[in-house]
Amino acid sequence: MLFLRRTLPLIIAFVLGMIGILVFYIPHSGAQALEQELTKWDRIVAAFALVLGIYSLMRLHWNRVRRQQAGWAYSSLVFVGFTVMFIFALYNDGHGPFNPQVTESGPFVWMFDYVQVPADATMFSILAFFIASAAYRTFRARTPEAAILLVSAIIVMIGRVPIGGLISDSIPELSQWLMAVPNLAAKRGILLGVSLGIVATSLRIIFGIERSYLGGGEE
Amino acid sequence: MKEFLLNIDRRIIFVFVALGVIIPALTSFNLPIKPTPNVQSIYDTIEEVGEKNGTILISFDYGPGSMPEVQPMALSVLRHCFKRNVKVVGMCLWPQGVGLAQQAFDTTSKELGAEYGNDYVFLGFKTGFHSLVINMGHDFHGTFPQDLPGNNTTELPVTQNIKGLADFDYVLCLAAGNTPDGIWIPFGQERYKFKFGLGCTAVMAPDQFPYLQSGQMNGMMGGLAGAAEYETLVQASGTATEGMRPQSVVHLIIIIFIILGNVMYFLYGRQKGGAQ
Repeated sequence: MLFLRRTLPLIIAFVLGMIGILVFYIPHSGAQALEQELTKWDRIVAAFALVLGIYSLMRLHWNRVRRQQAGWAYSSLVFVGFTVMFIFALYNDGHGPFNPQVTESGPFVWMFDYVQVPADATMFSILAFFIASAAYRTFRARTPEAAILLVSAIIVMIGRVPIGGLISDSIPELSQWLMAVPNLAAKRGILLGVSLGIVATSLRIIFGIERSYLGGGEE
Repeated sequence: MKEFLLNIDRRIIFVFVALGVIIPALTSFNLPIKPTPNVQSIYDTIEEVGEKNGTILISFDYGPGSMPEVQPMALSVLRHCFKRNVKVVGMCLWPQGVGLAQQAFDTTSKELGAEYGNDYVFLGFKTGFHSLVINMGHDFHGTFPQDLPGNNTTELPVTQNIKGLADFDYVLCLAAGNTPDGIWIPFGQERYKFKFGLGCTAVMAPDQFPYLQSGQMNGMMGGLAGAAEYETLVQASGTATEGMRPQSVVHLIIIIFIILGNVMYFLYGRQKGGAQ
């Protein structure tokens, strides 16, 4: 049992991880064919992961409804939405589930266009209000570093909209310089650090040092 | 009064922001929109592709939440492509992108008389992210044997000569997540060496500048401002150009509140330890 739960996944992670790294550096046609085969398998596994994701989401919300936790009524809407959309997807505007999905008309498209699109867009647009309130409350020049950040933010905010160009031609240019020079330098530094971190974590997983992906539970 | 100005109720700020959006949206005044070099570069590349009747791939990797910013880019780029006889292949790495891409294709193809199969093809969504891009790089027809309506990609005029990603004259990613820097550049552009451009949300734009400087990306449209610049270039004013009015006013309102907050902080707040 321990072999299946711990040793076998570690072997699979090591073998596939090493193959994944090596084929990247080997231009031989055999290595390229192997990479193609592995990535096809990866896509199949990813499709099953979608099913697993749906199961996980449903279980989470089912537990909330069953235990009547705070906001459980909202969780019940997950089941309503999922069931309705699933039925409409199977119905496929009268063409059935085994034909290509119709994307021009039908109840599935209607629900997407007139429920999901406005609901999502509304949720996102609310951010503008919270950002305005948070900017007023937290953007204070308490230190010299905070003052530099504050001035830069104001220049970029005004320089990225046409009104900045109306005030002065220099504002959009200064805004572009801030993005293309100091911002770029900082982002590249962060990017290099993150990338090295990813390499280190990947090697730890491949060599079995990092095992948290195996999950907890009893041994 | 000073207490009031030091800690303005958030509902008052909300009212100002709401008025800053509603009034400019209902009134009509024009603001000059000057395209930046990053947006101009995408436009110029599509012009070049048009001169040789080439084909571009557009990946619609966004959802309804980012639709107000990214959809105007999709519409403007498709209008530009169809006017210049650039063939377009559409696909999605995000499942929510399918409905929005379909809307964009329907609107622009009806406007400009573009014909499905001869002028554009839509492949829809497939799982796999980076694996899908690697597969497309080597074997396009094997990865997408059929388009979304079920036609064979080996038989459609737009896709029949595409063997891999390198056969596209340009790849443009319209994104609201990590697909450009997480998938298209490391697993696509770096390996198959195609020209790559990006249209993204404003919040993503600062993260993409290292790729512009390195040349892995030849142009970028960032946020609603980037979309408005592209609308200006294709001379087809749309929701992005209209959106510049409320966005300009709301940016000014936020800046005024920030300055007010700081003035009050330096006058009174520091003695009290700052606003709560």
